Amino acid sequence: MDLKQFLLQLRLDPSALWLIIALPLLGAFLCGVFGRMLGRANVYLVACAAVAGSFLLSLSAFLSVSPLEAAQAVTMENAFSSGTIRYAFGYDFGTWFSAGTFRVNFGLMVDHLSGTLLLVITGVGFLIHLYSTSYMSHDDGYWRYFAYLNLFVAAMLTLVLADNLVLLFVGWEGVGMASYLLIGFWYSDTAKAWAGRKAFVTNRIGDFAFLIATFLIVLLVSAFNTQATAANFSMVGGNPEAAQVRYREGLQMKGPVAFQGLETMANALHVTPEKAQGGVNLQTPISEGPLEGRTFGGVLTVALLLFLLGAAGKSAQFPLYVWLPDAMAGPTPVSALIHAATMVTAGVYLFSRMSYLLVLSPTAMVTVAIIGTITSLLAALIAFAQDDIKKVLAYSTVSQLGIMFMGVGMGIFWAAVLHLVTHAFFKACLFLGAGSVMHGNADETDIKKLGGVRHEMKQTWFTFLVATLAITGIVPLSGFFSKDAIYHGIHHNHLHGYEWASSVIYYMGLLIAASTAFYMSRVYLLTFEGKRSPEAKIPHAHESDWRMTTPLWVLAILSVVALFQALPLMPGRGGVMQPVMENFLGPVFSSAERIAARGGEVKLDHSVPSIIDYLKAWLVALAGGAAAGFMYLKFFPSRAGQPAPAFARSVRRFTQNKFYVDEAYEFLVIRPVKNVSAILYKLVDTLLIDTVAVRGTAWVTARLGSALRYVQTGDAQAYAAVMALALLGGAVYALILVMK
Amino acid sequence: MSFFDTHLLNLVVYLPLLFAALVWMLPGAERGQIRTITFIGMMVDAVFGVWAYLRFDPSGAEFQLEYRTRWLEQLGVSYHIGADGLAISLLLLTVFLGPLVVMASQTYITERVKEFHLALLVLQTVMLGALVSLDVLLFYIFWEAMLIPMYLLVGVWGAEDRQMAAVKFFLYTLAGSLLMLVAIVAIYFISSTPGNRSFDYATIFNNLSTAHSQIAACTGTGGDCSTLPGMAGILYRWGPWLFAAFAIAFAIKVPMWPVHTWLPDAHVQAPVAGSMILAGVMLKMGTFGFWRFAIPFFPSAAHQARPLLATLAVIGIVYGALMCLAQRDIKKLIAYSSVSHLGYCMLGILALTAEGATGSAYQMLNHGVSTGALFLLFGFLYERRHTRLMSDYGGIAKVVPVYTASFLIITFSSVAVPGTNGFVGEFLVLLGTFKSSLGLGFGAFATLGVILGAAYMLWMVQKVFFGPLTHRENQGLTDLNLREFATVAPFLVLVLVMGLMPQPFLDRINPSTERFLQRAELGIPGSQVRPSDVQISVMGLPPAGLAAAPNAPTPGPLADRR
Repeated sequence: MDLKQFLLQLRLDPSALWLIIALPLLGAFLCGVFGRMLGRANVYLVACAAVAGSFLLSLSAFLSVSPLEAAQAVTMENAFSSGTIRYAFGYDFGTWFSAGTFRVNFGLMVDHLSGTLLLVITGVGFLIHLYSTSYMSHDDGYWRYFAYLNLFVAAMLTLVLADNLVLLFVGWEGVGMASYLLIGFWYSDTAKAWAGRKAFVTNRIGDFAFLIATFLIVLLVSAFNTQATAANFSMVGGNPEAAQVRYREGLQMKGPVAFQGLETMANALHVTPEKAQGGVNLQTPISEGPLEGRTFGGVLTVALLLFLLGAAGKSAQFPLYVWLPDAMAGPTPVSALIHAATMVTAGVYLFSRMSYLLVLSPTAMVTVAIIGTITSLLAALIAFAQDDIKKVLAYSTVSQLGIMFMGVGMGIFWAAVLHLVTHAFFKACLFLGAGSVMHGNADETDIKKLGGVRHEMKQTWFTFLVATLAITGIVPLSGFFSKDAIYHGIHHNHLHGYEWASSVIYYMGLLIAASTAFYMSRVYLLTFEGKRSPEAKIPHAHESDWRMTTPLWVLAILSVVALFQALPLMPGRGGVMQPVMENFLGPVFSSAERIAARGGEVKLDHSVPSIIDYLKAWLVALAGGAAAGFMYLKFFPSRAGQPAPAFARSVRRFTQNKFYVDEAYEFLVIRPVKNVSAILYKLVDTLLIDTVAVRGTAWVTARLGSALRYVQTGDAQAYAAVMALALLGGAVYALILVMK
Repeated sequence: MSFFDTHLLNLVVYLPLLFAALVWMLPGAERGQIRTITFIGMMVDAVFGVWAYLRFDPSGAEFQLEYRTRWLEQLGVSYHIGADGLAISLLLLTVFLGPLVVMASQTYITERVKEFHLALLVLQTVMLGALVSLDVLLFYIFWEAMLIPMYLLVGVWGAEDRQMAAVKFFLYTLAGSLLMLVAIVAIYFISSTPGNRSFDYATIFNNLSTAHSQIAACTGTGGDCSTLPGMAGILYRWGPWLFAAFAIAFAIKVPMWPVHTWLPDAHVQAPVAGSMILAGVMLKMGTFGFWRFAIPFFPSAAHQARPLLATLAVIGIVYGALMCLAQRDIKKLIAYSSVSHLGYCMLGILALTAEGATGSAYQMLNHGVSTGALFLLFGFLYERRHTRLMSDYGGIAKVVPVYTASFLIITFSSVAVPGTNGFVGEFLVLLGTFKSSLGLGFGAFATLGVILGAAYMLWMVQKVFFGPLTHRENQGLTDLNLREFATVAPFLVLVLVMGLMPQPFLDRINPSTERFLQRAELGIPGSQVRPSDVQISVMGLPPAGLAAAPNAPTPGPLADRR
């Protein structure tokens, strides 16, 4: 049996999908509960084996949805329409909870998008587990560390496998929780523990928006279900009446938040009233319920903007990016896995998953793109002046995620996903490389105090160089192609009403590319080139062992070979060759394409970048790198000893302090909330309610009682006097009445 | 027709009392025996309670496991008990907490051990009794009787300032209850004619429902409703007042903002058992009262007061959470978090949507589990260090790892991380609020609690467990021992089970929710709900001189449709 035959036979039964999540979960349980009993070597074995097993299962799931021969393509029944979903399979494990008309199922689904992410998560995840076995070899909390890491992998897999929004949210918050635990892993350091809390609470702000967005979607679906006519379902395929019945059955079976249902709804929603023939379109007002009077399109846009805030929390976008740089308090492999390769890309995944909703709202799309641009530029500028190697990489991650958001926002989904994948490779490689440098230099993270490491750490140096070239976008590494695919798409896609965005964001993108090249070259040059800094903690660095270098090599190789996915090798529409990744993700984004083509709100372009485009991007990257080279190899060394001009110092201080964004939040949000709660507690709770109202009542009662005490003295003479006086008074009154 | 068909609920309710008699006969010096007998009693009760829960048929009649017999006939009272979906769920929670409370107090209580356990057992009986009473006067008796053992628990075995807290708790609650008593008597006279008067829940409700549909029809047309004849006219005029009397009594118990200030004091001073029962069961009596009595009895008044009550609930959520951020005392923080969580329960009920009400009922269970566990865990820490201030701890995670892990899991449940029980309840409540006719603002503000909840809980965890060890005294803290871990473990298991498999619990709540909603809908002006749709059918009184016999539950109009 040759390899091809073997791979063809490797097929995961859909009902076994839960195993992909269960394995790391079991690993987390074993390591967490029995870790200390098992001992170090067994914990390593359990944790790595769990992720490796998950990787093999993921591989088999991936091969099932993307078979080597077209005839073997799996299809999956669509619960919401009579059509089938090609190149996907899934399994519904029954109800999670239901009340009223709402229902959520434990439904898992693998298609080309989640299949790709499965491989990235478990593949890179395994490499990082392997790396960690060496990196954490001196830490006593190893069992805790691996339990958390396995827990994270399980949560992340839940996130990408979920076939509905609420189950996705389980993974979404689950990764946040694991991230909280891992950032604060060295909890006896107060700053590190606070960083964990900051991450969790900032993420919660995003989750707040995510929850509200989910509720709006539920309301929207129910409004659509009541108001939609057969005219809507004529676009879903088959007999319209039957399609509507089928949709309602789907709602009953899988609830309103299932992605399949949302896709069917997006397909059935008309964009403009002209073509709607009385069916629901984006301008139709909702007729009843709490959203009465608001239009479908308006509610959808609001929901997507709230999802954007949610994604900004998880994917560290403006204005919620502030937690990510602090998250570097965690162990370096954690930064590589969670804060570079997987968790922070969840926002990109979310929008790619719901691409069909996104293309219905150009306003939401352009906002996503603008937020991405602002974040990316801001982070790149902050990265210029950071001296901590992990902080630079953290800001670079924020910046790269911004680029992915730009891509998603401008509708070039496949390229955003491709950049997600390539970024996972080269950024994980960079972080692990940084970890290796720290490991070999007594945990020194200040790049000013390193230098010249290339001679002592040859393997780390070479892989770091490859990854740096990839992220700066030098031909022929994968980063170049994926970033350029995004930029090309941004330039050529057009959003109705926001045509200016295409070029503005494109040129901003070029600026970001140049900045990326600059700060990455700076990090590389200061760390690996030149002479060893006299301030270094130890005189000689040492190379790390094989468990740390193997992942570096694998990731470096992957960041080179991943480039093939951007090459136009596959036959596309109209005989034009299509990039491999675009072709591969075609089925996932087909609804988005169809809706865009139908409505004219968004114009999606499918051309392939020309040599000129490539050349432009290449020159930009080269210019950034060359500038850094000039500054740090020639300019600064030649001026050593001379004081820098005042303006340069103040700019540097301003940048180094991250534009004082954290301070602004502290001043504008955190302190007010704290002060308001303290004031409310002192004023309203303690004083007004408890003292004035509650104790006041008691006080008045007591005073009243003691005042009335004097009435009951038991003195017969006094009683008689009162009686006599009362009698007299009565008599006088009677007399007056008579006299009148 | 076995003994258990008729007497299962009686058994669950009075078993603790039986064991209380046993304990009473033991000499006070036999502490070990007293503890063991109490524990066995609670365990046996829990077994029967779970059995009752399993026997409850979600698709069956509204009130199940009924028992009714003649009692104080001259007043129109009968001894009538039975459980619907909500009551049986809260009953399960109560019997679940029972044995754990005893285990938690094993070393905590060293003074007056016999009296303490007597109080626990009596409290268990009256709480269960209040949940299952189907006679309003019987309910009131149990409701008031709850105060006494709780007052003793706080006042005798509490911390340094216990007298003040106990008196405050007692007077606060009593003030509300007396108002309710007035309303109960008034409703007794209004709901029927002389000679037919009855305190029976179903009779009162059925009699009132006709009048309510008349009011709804009248307010729907916008006419002058004060001239309505008979009961409808009286209800139209006095309904809001009577509702207010009920609502104040229950709102104090919940506690809703701004009548919540007894709670932090009572919690802070109460011993671990008192806090657990208070948070676990007693607060739910307030929400249960709204669900069972206040809203179904006065739907139109409830409908008028809904925006106000919902506003108070939302204020409670946000305000309670903000209060937590201003605390230095751990127990006070947990108490204020209860105010916030109970705000969700109230909001869910007031949303009057299936999702909201079901979520609210589930949130009641969740809060009992997670906040009960928080008080339990803190109680262990308090036993070791005798301080409640956050600043006296810090960095103890290294010293007590198992304790820390348990506390973290419960914390995640309390901040409603998906996968734990808290998420399902909170999600359903918020979804229900968004779906309701209250308006989106209520939902949006209530959702703020999600952020604040994480902020204050993790802040507390941070202060207590993380960072460097700041106090030398904490160096010698011992981790959970076997007994303590065995007490915590059921909570940890339940957090995950209720988070991942909520449907068996929700299945029992859902039918109750739908009946509740329909009854509440009767109050909406122009409501189309007919009185015959919402009638409650219960077993009749057994013929005089005969022992009570359960008739097969007569399927009512609601039961027919499912």
